[in-house]
Amino acid sequence: MSGKQFFIDRYAKLGWTYKKPQVRQSIRINQVNSTGKRLIERLRSLGVEFEKVPFLTAGYWINSTKVSLGATVEYLLGLYSIQEAAAQIPATLFHALHGKNVLDACAAPGGKTVQLADLMGNSGTITGLDINKQRLSAMVNHLERCHISNTIIYNVDARQAKLLNRKFDRVLLDVPCSGNFAGDQEWFNRRTIGDIERNADVQRALFAETATCLNEGGEIVYSTCSLEPEEDELNMDWAVKNLGLKIQKIDCLGSDGLTEVFGRRLDAQVGFCRRIWPDKTQGFFVCKLRKEPLS
Amino acid sequence: MKPYETFSSRFGGNIAFNPEFIVEKSQRFYLLNPRLKKMQNNFYYAGLYLGKMKDGIFFPSFNLLNMLADEVANKIVVDGKTAWLFTCGRDIFASGIVKVMGSRRKGDATLVLNEFRECLGFGWIADDLSGSAERVAVKNVLDLGDFLRRERRSKE
Repeated sequence: MSGKQFFIDRYAKLGWTYKKPQVRQSIRINQVNSTGKRLIERLRSLGVEFEKVPFLTAGYWINSTKVSLGATVEYLLGLYSIQEAAAQIPATLFHALHGKNVLDACAAPGGKTVQLADLMGNSGTITGLDINKQRLSAMVNHLERCHISNTIIYNVDARQAKLLNRKFDRVLLDVPCSGNFAGDQEWFNRRTIGDIERNADVQRALFAETATCLNEGGEIVYSTCSLEPEEDELNMDWAVKNLGLKIQKIDCLGSDGLTEVFGRRLDAQVGFCRRIWPDKTQGFFVCKLRKEPLS
Repeated sequence: MKPYETFSSRFGGNIAFNPEFIVEKSQRFYLLNPRLKKMQNNFYYAGLYLGKMKDGIFFPSFNLLNMLADEVANKIVVDGKTAWLFTCGRDIFASGIVKVMGSRRKGDATLVLNEFRECLGFGWIADDLSGSAERVAVKNVLDLGDFLRRERRSKE
């Protein structure tokens, strides 16, 4: 079960009509590093034309540029990062990050880790985990470039997060996923339902492990760039039923999470998730959950 | 004296680190905050990376260079074109130098700042800093373009 038509038919059953997305390049300004640096003015003087992303505080869509945005002095100084607009959403959904202990469970290559550190003003701590050493070497360059000082990185599979023997106030669970077709023309030819189900199993294992590391009253933000409900709403339904977590209402781009998937009715809370079908952004899914304090 | 202190002293800087918060791992040095200090078991990377020792030579990080730039240290400010060329790995001619702070002595190390006073890297003073426009005044040792070169190397 694969191929373009197969997936397009699935999306139609989920209520979305396939259209070719026009994903726009975007950057995120690192607020801590760029304060007082006249970054907007400097980018304009380099020939970069951009506009504010309406649903983000620090995100800008690039309309045109005369320079390579990954090679300017401003980029190398860590004044901004290149980060897709939808991918900028998860880190912004946490409540009160300042001074907190945060777990970034699948951290490399570090775009969201740097964003978290920026939102935290380099306060508190971020523990970043990733199983892939090669991706970690890219991540540490990213951390050095952006002068991040509150982060500690381990080459550890997040499915073994308990080994750290630590509890966290916030967990970012941006799990490895099947991705989507928006940025990859070959996506439809490379993915099967089997892959998606395998990924969903790994995602649940990551979820189960990291949820045990969360303090009572703590928050988890789960995100994928997959459009497949097995990796999104079905996993959230499973988390609500098995991990004692409650889904929180969030206010961000996207439509409500699906509460009925291929004839299967899900917990009503799953509707609080946000599903972002590809358009100006890539496809994305995001959900915020809370571990209720023991009464 | 620790390697990062020896390195700093070459710029006439006087950075004092609390040794309690410096951790060395695989010949790499990290400056940790008190909360990270309590978590520092078997990490891959932590806090502010200061630099590494390799084959007896200390390679500073840009974090360390930035700290030095905030202190009293040898530094030059260069014009926009020179800043760009320096970031691309080129040496600096005297004609591109706008301002000199600290040492002008041949053989000394100096930080290189752009017109916004941001640290782009460092080099060795190779000639009179206000001398002939056509001679290399500062030899490039490390510049910000290194981030891109590392990326390229890791892809290869």
